[in-house]
Order: sequence, then C-alpha cells, then structure tokens
Amino acid sequence: MPGPNIIATELAGADTAATAVIDAPLGLGKTTRQAAFNFVAGLAILFALWWLGIELLARSSSTAYFASFGPLPALRAMGGMWRSGQIQSAVWSSGWRLATGLLIAIAVGAPIGVLIGRVRIFRELSNAPFQLLRMISPLSWEPIAVIVFIGWDSAIIFLITIAAVWPVIFSTAAGLAKVDPNWFKVARNLGASRWQILTQIIVRAITFDVLTGLRLALGVAWIVLVPAEFFGVTSGLGYSIENARESINYDQLMAMVLVVGAIGYLLDGCIVQLIRRYGWQRHS
Amino acid sequence: MIGVAVPAGSLTSLCQRVFGVRRLTCGILGLLAFAALWELGTMLLGLNPATRTFVTFGPIPTFKSVPFLWQTDRIQDAVVASGYRIGMGMLLAVVFGVPIGILMGFSKRFRELSNSGFQFLRMISPLSWMPLAVIMYPDWNQAIIFLIAIAAVWPVIFATAAGLAKVDPNWFKVARNLGANPVHMISLVILPAIAFDVFTGIRLALGVAWIVLVPAELLGVTSGLGYAIRDARDTLSYNHLTVMVLVIGIIGWFLDGICVALITRYSWRHRVAG
Repeated sequence: MPGPNIIATELAGADTAATAVIDAPLGLGKTTRQAAFNFVAGLAILFALWWLGIELLARSSSTAYFASFGPLPALRAMGGMWRSGQIQSAVWSSGWRLATGLLIAIAVGAPIGVLIGRVRIFRELSNAPFQLLRMISPLSWEPIAVIVFIGWDSAIIFLITIAAVWPVIFSTAAGLAKVDPNWFKVARNLGASRWQILTQIIVRAITFDVLTGLRLALGVAWIVLVPAEFFGVTSGLGYSIENARESINYDQLMAMVLVVGAIGYLLDGCIVQLIRRYGWQRHS
Repeated sequence: MIGVAVPAGSLTSLCQRVFGVRRLTCGILGLLAFAALWELGTMLLGLNPATRTFVTFGPIPTFKSVPFLWQTDRIQDAVVASGYRIGMGMLLAVVFGVPIGILMGFSKRFRELSNSGFQFLRMISPLSWMPLAVIMYPDWNQAIIFLIAIAAVWPVIFATAAGLAKVDPNWFKVARNLGANPVHMISLVILPAIAFDVFTGIRLALGVAWIVLVPAELLGVTSGLGYAIRDARDTLSYNHLTVMVLVIGIIGWFLDGICVALITRYSWRHRVAG
C-alpha cells in the first residue's frame, strides 16, 4: 500500500526537520541551573559580539554612522519606547493579527489534514493543487488580499493564515499517516462510534504532529507578519520598524528588532514545551 | 516529484509505474478542479458590482496573457533575476550553515553556548533586517541576497546539527580503527550520514527563502518576481498579476520537487518496508 508511505516520505521532510530543530538544542545541560547559565551566557556572548562589531565599525569615520545601531542605544531606546507605550501597542496589534491568523489556520488546516490522511481520493486529487498553492509566496497574495478584504487588518490576517495553513495541513496528514491502522480496527471492534474514533484516537494521535506543524506555521507567520505590516497599516511591529527607518531613529529600529526576536523566541519556546508535553512517539 | 529513480525490471518498478500513471491523472484532475474553483471564485467577484472590475483575476484572462508575457520576455527576465538572488542566497546559507551545524553537532560547548543566541536570532523576522541590509549594502541586489541568506541559514544549521546528533558515535570509532583520516571521516562518514538531514534543512530553507524573496523584491528593485507582481498591481493589469503568482507557485513547486528527490535519494534511515 503505497499511499501513506508516499505521504510519509514526501511530507515527513518538514516534519522531521521540525522535530530535529527541537531535538538539536536539547543537549542543553543536565541541570536547570546549568541551562540557565547557558541561556544567559549565550545571550551575553551575542550582545558582546554585537557591541564589538558596532564599536569596530564606529572607529572608522566612513562607517561612523553605525554607532546608533549598537546595543546600548537600542536598550536605551527600548526603555523610552516602553514608557511611552509604543512597544506595548505594537505588540498588541501584531499579536492580535498573528493569533487570529494562526487560529484560522488551525481551524481550517487540521480538518483538511485529517481528510488528506483518511480519504485516499481526496489526498490524490488535492496533492497537485496544494503543492502549487503552498509554494506561492504568501506576500504575492497581498494585492489580491487587499482587494478581496475591505480592511488592511483582515488582509494581513488573510496573509498570515495562507502562510500558516500549509504546515498545519501537511503535518496533520503526516501525523495521521504514521498512526497504526490497527488502532482503528481495534477501536471499531470495541464498538467505537465515528465520533469516538475522532476524539479518542485521531485527535490524540495527531496532537504532537499538529503542534509540530503549528511550530513551523508560527515561524512562517512570523516571517510574513513584518513585511505585511510594512504596507498600509499604522500599527504593529512591522510598521514600527518601517516607521523607525523612515524617521532615521536607528536606535528605535534596533529596539524593535530586539522585541521581534524576543517575542518570537518566547512563542516558539511555548510551543516547544507543548510539543514535549504531547510527544508520545519519541519516547517509545 | 514523479521522477524518483527506480531500479528497472523489478516488480516494484512496475507498481511504481502504474502508480505514477495514477498520480499523473490525479494531479491533472486536481489541477483542473482547482482551476474550476478559481473560475467560480472569480464569477462570485463578478456578481458584486463593487468588485466587478477584478474579473480579470480569472483563469481565462490569466492564461490568455501568458503568451504575451512570454514573448515580451517578462516572465523569463523576472525568473532569471529572482533565480539569481535565490541561488546566491541559498548558496551563502549552505556555505555558512552546514559548517556551523557540524560545529554544533560536534562541540557540546559550542552547542550549549550558541543555542540561546541562535534561537533568538532565528526568530527575528528576516524582513526586520531590511533597513539594516539597505544601509550595509549599497546595492539592492546584495541587500536582497543578504535577506534571503539570513532567512535560510537557520533551517540549514539546525537540520545539520540534528542530523549529526543522530549519528551513532561508534561509526567514528570504527572509522578511526580502520585507519580513516579526517578527510575520509568527512567525505565517507559524516557527509553521507547527514546528507538526508542537510537536504531536509535545505528544503525548509528554500520554503523560507521563497517567502522572503517576494516582499524583499517589492521594495527598491525593478526586476524579479516580486517587482513584477507590484508592477502588475500598479498598472491594474490583474491578469498579469495572476500569471506571476502562478509562475511563483510553479517554480517553487519545481524547486521543492528537486529537494524532495534529493531527500528521497539520500534517505537511509527512513526506508519503510512495503
């Protein structure tokens, strides 16, 4: 039976790599104290390298204007922007768009993924158009999104959704393909209804893969969010970066870049925790 | 995607060929169904007087404008310009990413200390580097290549490190006992062992680079697929816009297919019986 195998080889790519990305940094140190030390030391090294690089650039007169890109001006600007509420409002409006986009992506993507995993003819027919649509760079939908959706806000949410829905679909399908078909037989023999098979077997079996897909989806949505906010809107993280650039406040620009990285790191960390919590396959 | 090499003459080859025909048929039917849905969506747009001007989004005006765009070399020019940027960006990402990944896989100290910094940098949305890239590089072309490279390098790094982490340490012992020198070690043990993961990482990286390419080209440059899309929008030629969107999808699909073929070719761990 080649069906599920094909999905496994073809879709596992993204899936395995995502799992791999989680696995790789796991050698973090045995104790929490050591892990905390590594965390702080790693970030300190990054900041030191950043400071050093800017310092070297600022020495030469031709690149002296890079001085405002340094870590100290950025941190100072961050304090000012926090007090004036700029950071909070940018995070709030971007967070709302991101969350809505991801929610729609899960609500649409997970059922389609289950359908692909369970219905052979749907899988075979949808494969070509889905692969084509998946590889359309999300931002190329932007002109169409602006026309179809009235507000810029909903256009941005659409862009995030269309970027994030593919990892969710394919991870869900790949997760379902890995489920032992005997489980369904056993469940049916034990008298499970379709609803029970869905809630007791399918949902539980694929939670790990849906979360892995969500992690990939978050990464993609995070990439799309910033350029999507460059145009049209006057709120959010992307707008703040564009705004800081146009007003030549490079310290504020770097402060916003830091905020983008920190929030992304935090969100990614949350999903990694969820994946570990629900990762039953890898402990076998 | 179909072009995975199969040893000829065996029963499996026959199965694969029959299956290939079925796949092809399903693929064509699927694409036709997609075009029908697309036409339906355009008709819905046409029903509403406010959006009637946008019926050129439909599949028929789109396919009608393909020959024109092809004869005037617009598709080719855009593909060549974007292809160059993607190629250079991916090349840089692999050249930097694979050695860093190998270092992460080998040195525990490096892995532990780089983790938080790399995870942090990874989650900085690539387009946030855009203002910095424009200042650092005098040329927009280089700035775009930088953006693509910085987006694509993380999947390559982490996939390489993960691939190395899964390698059985005994292989290195065995290789050393059999008298392998460092060059042998890299070319005969490490690279074949991690090829699958590196290509998986490259596949992810390509997806990310493809996402970054279009918005990066929306600003500043006057060539490439992203520019072509913006240009079509600004001149209100929506059928040209949809052609470019389709071209992006088809090329992306093709590149992704190459990656999948490479992954399948170098997969030694994931052979499932059956």
